[in-house]
Amino acid sequence: MRTILSRTLHVLGRLRVSVVVAFSLALLANFTASAAEAVFLRAINLNGPALTIDGRPWDGTNAAGITITGKTFENAHVPLKPPTDPQRSRMIRSSVWGSQVDVVVENLPAGVFQIFLYVWEDNQSEQFDLLVNGEIVAEDFHSGSAGTWKKLGPWRTPSADGKVRISARAASHGAANLSGIELWSGDGAIPAPTRPTFTTALTPEHTAFFEAKIRPLLVEHCYECHSTTGKKLKGGLTLDSRAGVQQGGDTGLAVTPGDPEASLLIQAVRHTDASLAMPPDKKLTPHEIADLETWVRWGAPDPRVEDTVATAQARSSIQWKTARDWWSFRPRTSPTPPSVKGAGWPANDLDRFILARLEQGRLVPAPDADPKTLIRRATFDLTGLPPRPEDVDAFVAHPTPEAFADVVDRLLASPQYGERWGRHWLDVVRYADSAGDNSDFPIPQMHRYRDWVIDAFNRDLPYDQLVREQLAGDLLPGSTVRETHDRLIATGYIANARRFGSRVDDYPQHLTIEDTLDNLGRAFLGLSLSCARCHDHKFDPISAADYYALYGIFQSTRYPWPGIELEQKQRDLVPLVDSTRLTEAEAARKAYDQERRQLERSVQKLKDSVKETPADQKEQVQTRIKEAEAALKEFLKKGLPFELAYAVTDHGKAQDAAIQFKGDPAKPGPVVRRRFLTVLGGNELPEGTTTSGRRELAEWIVAPDNPLTARVMVNRIWLHHFGKGLVPTPNDFGKQGKPPTHPELLDWLATRFVESGWSVKTMHRLMMNSRTYRMSSQQTDDAIARDANNELLGSFPRRRLDAEAIRDTLLVLGGNLDTSPSGAHPFPPQSEWKFTQHNPFRAVYASNRRSVYLMTQRIQRHPFLAIFDGADPAASTAARLTSTTPLQSLFLLNDPFVHEQARQFARRLLTSRGETPARVGLAYQIALGRSPDAAERESAQRFLAEVQNKFSADDRATEASDAAAWEALARVLFRLNEFVYLD
Amino acid sequence: MNARSPNRRHVLRSLVGSSLLLPGLVSHLLAETSADDPLSPKAPHFPAKAQRVIFIFSNGGVSHMDTFDPKPALFAADGKTLGVGGGLSNQQRRLLKPGWAFKPGGTCGTEVSDLFPHLRECMDDVCLIRSMKGNDNEHYQATLGIHTGSFFFSRPGIGSWISYGLGTLNQNLPSFVAISAGSPYAGTQIFNNDFLPAYHQGVRVIPGKEPIANLDRRTSPSSVQELELGLAEALNRRHLNSRGHDSELAARIRTFETAFHMQTDAREVFDLSQESDATHALYGMKRDQTDGFGWPCLVARRLVERGVRFVELVDGTSSHNWDQHGDMAEHAQHARNIDQPIAGLLRDLRQRGMLDDTLVVWTTEFGRTPGVDGEKGRGHHSACFSSWLAGGGSQGGIAYGSTDELGATVAENQVHVHDFHATILHLLGMDHERLTFRHGGRDYRLTDVHGHVVQALLA
Repeated sequence: MRTILSRTLHVLGRLRVSVVVAFSLALLANFTASAAEAVFLRAINLNGPALTIDGRPWDGTNAAGITITGKTFENAHVPLKPPTDPQRSRMIRSSVWGSQVDVVVENLPAGVFQIFLYVWEDNQSEQFDLLVNGEIVAEDFHSGSAGTWKKLGPWRTPSADGKVRISARAASHGAANLSGIELWSGDGAIPAPTRPTFTTALTPEHTAFFEAKIRPLLVEHCYECHSTTGKKLKGGLTLDSRAGVQQGGDTGLAVTPGDPEASLLIQAVRHTDASLAMPPDKKLTPHEIADLETWVRWGAPDPRVEDTVATAQARSSIQWKTARDWWSFRPRTSPTPPSVKGAGWPANDLDRFILARLEQGRLVPAPDADPKTLIRRATFDLTGLPPRPEDVDAFVAHPTPEAFADVVDRLLASPQYGERWGRHWLDVVRYADSAGDNSDFPIPQMHRYRDWVIDAFNRDLPYDQLVREQLAGDLLPGSTVRETHDRLIATGYIANARRFGSRVDDYPQHLTIEDTLDNLGRAFLGLSLSCARCHDHKFDPISAADYYALYGIFQSTRYPWPGIELEQKQRDLVPLVDSTRLTEAEAARKAYDQERRQLERSVQKLKDSVKETPADQKEQVQTRIKEAEAALKEFLKKGLPFELAYAVTDHGKAQDAAIQFKGDPAKPGPVVRRRFLTVLGGNELPEGTTTSGRRELAEWIVAPDNPLTARVMVNRIWLHHFGKGLVPTPNDFGKQGKPPTHPELLDWLATRFVESGWSVKTMHRLMMNSRTYRMSSQQTDDAIARDANNELLGSFPRRRLDAEAIRDTLLVLGGNLDTSPSGAHPFPPQSEWKFTQHNPFRAVYASNRRSVYLMTQRIQRHPFLAIFDGADPAASTAARLTSTTPLQSLFLLNDPFVHEQARQFARRLLTSRGETPARVGLAYQIALGRSPDAAERESAQRFLAEVQNKFSADDRATEASDAAAWEALARVLFRLNEFVYLD
Repeated sequence: MNARSPNRRHVLRSLVGSSLLLPGLVSHLLAETSADDPLSPKAPHFPAKAQRVIFIFSNGGVSHMDTFDPKPALFAADGKTLGVGGGLSNQQRRLLKPGWAFKPGGTCGTEVSDLFPHLRECMDDVCLIRSMKGNDNEHYQATLGIHTGSFFFSRPGIGSWISYGLGTLNQNLPSFVAISAGSPYAGTQIFNNDFLPAYHQGVRVIPGKEPIANLDRRTSPSSVQELELGLAEALNRRHLNSRGHDSELAARIRTFETAFHMQTDAREVFDLSQESDATHALYGMKRDQTDGFGWPCLVARRLVERGVRFVELVDGTSSHNWDQHGDMAEHAQHARNIDQPIAGLLRDLRQRGMLDDTLVVWTTEFGRTPGVDGEKGRGHHSACFSSWLAGGGSQGGIAYGSTDELGATVAENQVHVHDFHATILHLLGMDHERLTFRHGGRDYRLTDVHGHVVQALLA
C-alpha cells in the first residue's frame, strides 16, 4: 500500500497539481478502486529450473499444474540481442520448440489474466502465429535473426475452466522457440520493477573511500569534459557534483546504483563499446576501474554537496533567451507598403516593396515584357505547358492588365494547374512510388496520395488544412465518406517516408521516423531538425529533447508496411470503407490473411510430404499440389473486397519517446514528453494523451502565431514565380540558410496569405498581377554592374524549364500528350513479388502522360528526370538545380523520344495548309509562341533546302526527304535556348 | 578546339550567310574556357601525386582469408568451433579453412593466395590494407558505405566528390565514368551525384554496342546532324546576343559542341582496334571481346589517358557476384575474371609511366566469415576485410594492418571506410575536412564527421 501511495503522489507531482495530502488521500481511494494494478500470479521457465527474475520467483518446468507440449532445446552460445541479466538469459536460452507448441496452465482462479510470453531465435528467422485460448494474439510473428529475444504481451484473457492455453503454430517445417511465460491477474497496469536508489546515508568508510579513490580519479580523468569548470561540457554529463552523478547525461543514467553491469559509466571506462569508451584516448587502469565498480556497487555514496547541474545547464549550447531574436523566429509582422518615388509604376502593393528597394539601389525596373513573352511565362508558370497559339493571339490583341488577370484566372481554373503545382509540392515531400528499402518495393496505392495532392491544389484547399490533413487526416473525420477517405489518403505524406534495409527483426524504424521528421521540418517549418537527432543542433535552437519530443509522436503512429526482402507482403494498410465498417473491414482483412496463409500452408505441407510418399502415390500428390496451388492463385486473384490506402493511423499504444544517445536507439536516455519545438512555444500534449499527437502537432504548425509556416509557404510560391525565393534557401530558414532579400515583403505576403484563409491561388493572383511579374527579363548594363545576381529584381529572372516541362512540352508539340485520367502504375501483382537486394524492383514504364504521372522510384532515378535535374526522390527538393551538361545535349541530339516527337511535329506541319513559309511560321508559333522574323524565316528555308540536298538526287523532294527536312527543323527548334529558357 | 569544328563552321556559314552571325561579345564568350564552367580543372588543397583515379569495386564480399590475408591458424583450425565464427554478432560457427594456398609475390614478398597469381606478381606496386572495417553486414548498406561514406542515406559517391573537388581535364568527355555491365547492390546510387550538381554524375558505360546512352547519331543521313547543329548554334548565338551577358545560355551552347564531339571522341575511346595484340594479351582478352573484365580495364586506361578524372569499374552485379554463402570454390571463377585484367592494367600504367600519378583502388564492400556458412561457404563479415591501393603516391610493396589469427577482427592499425576515403582524398591533394558542400543547412563531407588520413599508406 505504501508503495502505491508514494507512486500515486509521484504521478500527481508530475501533473503539477498542488493539493494537500489529505485531499490526495481521498483521491487515492478512488484511484486504487478503479485502476488497481495487476498482481503477479506466477511465471514459468518452460525448459529449466526455478529461478528469480525481476525479483520475482519463477517456477521450473516440472512445477505443478503445467502441461507443456514441444521439444526441448538449449543454446548457451549465441549472443542474445539485446543482452540481458544472467537469470533471464538462462531462462531464454533453454526453450521448447516445434511447429506446434502448447503450454497449458491449470488450476487458476476465475477472472481476467494478463500474459507475457518470452520467445527467442537461435538461428534463422521463423514465422508463426501465437494464440491464447485459441485466439490469435500475434499473426505471422517473425522471430528475428539469431539471438533475438522478445517479451511479448501483455495479452488479456479470461481463464477458461481455470485454464490458460498458450500456443504457437508454424508451417510444418517451421519452428517456434518459447522460453517462458508470466501470468498476472487483474486488468490493471503492470507495475514496473522497483529501482535501486543511491546511497544517501554515508558511513565514514564511504567518505574515506570516495576521497581517497573516487574524487581524485574523477578530477584527473573526467572533469575536463564533465564538469562546470572544464573546457567543454560533453554529453550533458557533469561528474563534479553528487547531483550531476545522480542525474546522468544526455544518454540517460550514468550510474545504476548497486549494479555496475548496468551502469553506463562502468561500460564506458571498460571500453567495451568504442563509441562510448571513456576516457577516449586512455583507458583507466584495472585498479581504477575496480574502484569505480566498488563505488557503484555501494550505491555511489557521494559526500559532495555543491550542486553543479544548474550551472552546467546554463552552459548548454543553446541560448534559449536569445534564440527568438533570429529573424525567422520573430513574430510575423504586417508592414505598411513603403512609399516610392515612381508612384506610377506599382500595379499593387507588392510592387511598392520591390520598387522601394530598387530605388534605394539607384536602379529602375525593367520595362514591361511584351505580351507574347508574358503569356508564355504565365502559362508555363501555372500549367507547365506552352500556351496554345489561339490563346496567345487573343491576349496579344488586347494585352491589358485586366485581360492578363483573366488569363491568370483561366489558367488557375485549368486541371493542368494542379498537375504543375502539385508536382512542386511532391518535390518538397520527396514523393516516390516505391519504398526505398534495399529491394525498393513498389507501392501500388501510393498514387492516391499523388492524386490527392494534385486535386488539393486544383480546388485550392487552404494551406493550413493541407497541412492538417497530411499530418492527421486519419484523425479528422470528414462530412462525407469521400472526404473521410481523402483525408486518410492525405496521410500518405507520412506513410511515404523512406524504408530501410532488408531485415524485419531489427528493422530500423528509427530511420523511417528520422526521415519523417527531417522532411516535416524542412517542408512545413523550413528547419533542418535532423541535426538534433544526435546532439543539440549546432546552429539552430533545436535541442535533442525537442527532436525526441516530436519523435514520440511518430513512434506512436502506425506506418503501413510496404514489404521488404524478408517479409514481402504488404500489411497495415488502411481500408477505404465507411468509418462504421472499419471493424468489419479489419475482420475481413484478417480472415483473408488467415485463409491465404492456410492455403499457402497446405501447399507447403503437400510439398513437404512428397519425400515420404511411396513412389506409386507420388503422382497423386503432385496432382494435389497443383490443385492446391491453383486454389491459392484463384484466391489471390479475388483479392480484398475493398480498396486500401497507403496511409497511417494511430496504433493505440501512444507513448513518449526516450532521447537516443547519438541517434542510436540502443542507447536510450531520459523520456521526453511529446511536444512542439521549444523555440516555437513548446506546447505539450496533456499527460496521458492516448492518441499519437499528430492532430495537435498539425495545429501547432498552422497556429497563427507560428512565425515560420506561412513565411515558408509564401516563399515557395514566390520561388516558382520568380525563379528564386525571397529567402534563397527555401528549406532552411535557420542560421545556415540565407536571410530574406526583402524581409518586409516576405512578412507582408505571409500575413496576406493567412488573412486570405491560406489560399494559394490568392497568392498566385497577388504575385502575377503585380508589375514586378510583368517586367521584361532584359537586364540593363547598369543593373548588371550594380546588382549582378538580380537580387533586387530589377528585371524578371530568366530561367530554364524543369525536366517535366521540357518533356511535357515535347509531347504537346508532337501531339502525343495523353491527358486522360491517370491512375495506378502497371506494377506486377503482389502475389508475384519476390524482390530482394539481389534482384530489386526496377522498372521504367513508358507513358505519354504528363511527367508528374511517371512512376518514380526512390532509389533508382527515372533516366530522363536524372539527366535534366529532376527532383531527388530520396530527399526534399526545395528548388531544382539547372545544370547544363553534355548528356542533356546528347539526349536532345539522339534520344528516340526526341526524334519521335520531332517526327510527329513535322507531320503536323506537313498536314497544315499553306506553303513552306507559312509552315515555318506555324512551327515558330507552336514551338516558341511567336512568329519568325525575316532572317529566321530565310535561314529556316535555306536549311530545309540544304537538308534535302543531303539526299541523293533520286530521293530529293520526295515525301520521305520532305518529312526528313521538317523533322530536322523540328529538332533544331527543340534544341534552342529560347525553347528551354523562359524570358 | 577540335580539328573537326572548322568543317562544321564552314557548313554553318554557307548555310545561313552572315545575317545571323554576329561578331563580338558572343564569340569571345564561347572562346574562353569559362571560370563559370563547373568542370574546369581546380587546384587541389595541396600539391599531390595522384591526378586521377581508377576505382575497382568487387561486389558481393570478397573473402579476405582466401585472397589477401593469409591465416595459417585457420588452416589448422578447420572444422573446429573455437568461439569465433564471424558475422555481425560474431556467432560461434564451425571454422572453415581457406581454399587456396598463399605464396609471396614480388620482391616485397607480400603474400597473396593462388586465386590471384597475376596480381601477386604486381605486389611491389600494391599498398595492401589488411585491416579494413565497415559498419554494416548487408550488401546494400555496405556497398553504399564504401562509395558514399553513408551506410543508410544516399549521398554523393566518391567519384562525384572527386569530380566536384578537382573538375576534369578533357571537356569533351565526362569527368566521372562508371563502367558497370549490370546493376550493383544499391543500384546507380553509388555513382549518383545526389545533392551535388548533375555535372558530377557518373556517366554509366555499359560494355557493348552503345556504351553510353544516346552516343550514336540517329540522324539519317548522319551529316544532317551537322546542319541541325549549325542552324541551332546560329539561332542560339543570336538569341544570346540579344540578351546580353548570360553565362548559362553561353554554357548551353557549348554543351552541344561537346556532345557533338563526344559522339566521336567517346566512340574513339571505346574503339580498341587501335590497341596492339600485345596490349590485348596483357589484359588477357581477345580482339573484339567486350565481356569479361579486360574491356573495362583497358577502356579505363584509355579514359584516364584522355583526362577523365575518375573511372569506376564495377565487378559483379547484385545477382551474380562474390557472395559465396554455399560454396567458396566459386570464388575461383570470379577471381579468374579479374586477376589478369587488373594485373594487366597495373603493368600497362606502369610501362606508360602513368602509375605514378594514377591512383588505382581495389575494394569490396566487406569480407567473409572465418566460420562456415551453408555447406562450404562463408557469411558476410564487415568486422574486417582487405582492400588495396596502387600508384598515385601510395606506398607500394607494403601490407598494412592485420587481423587476428583467424581473420575475425582487426588486430592492429584498423582502417575504417571513412579513413580509407580520407586517405584517397589526401592522395589527390584534398583535405577530407575541407571538401564540403552546403546542402539543406549543413556542410556535408564524403567522410561525414569521421575519418583520419592513414599516413603509413603514403609513399
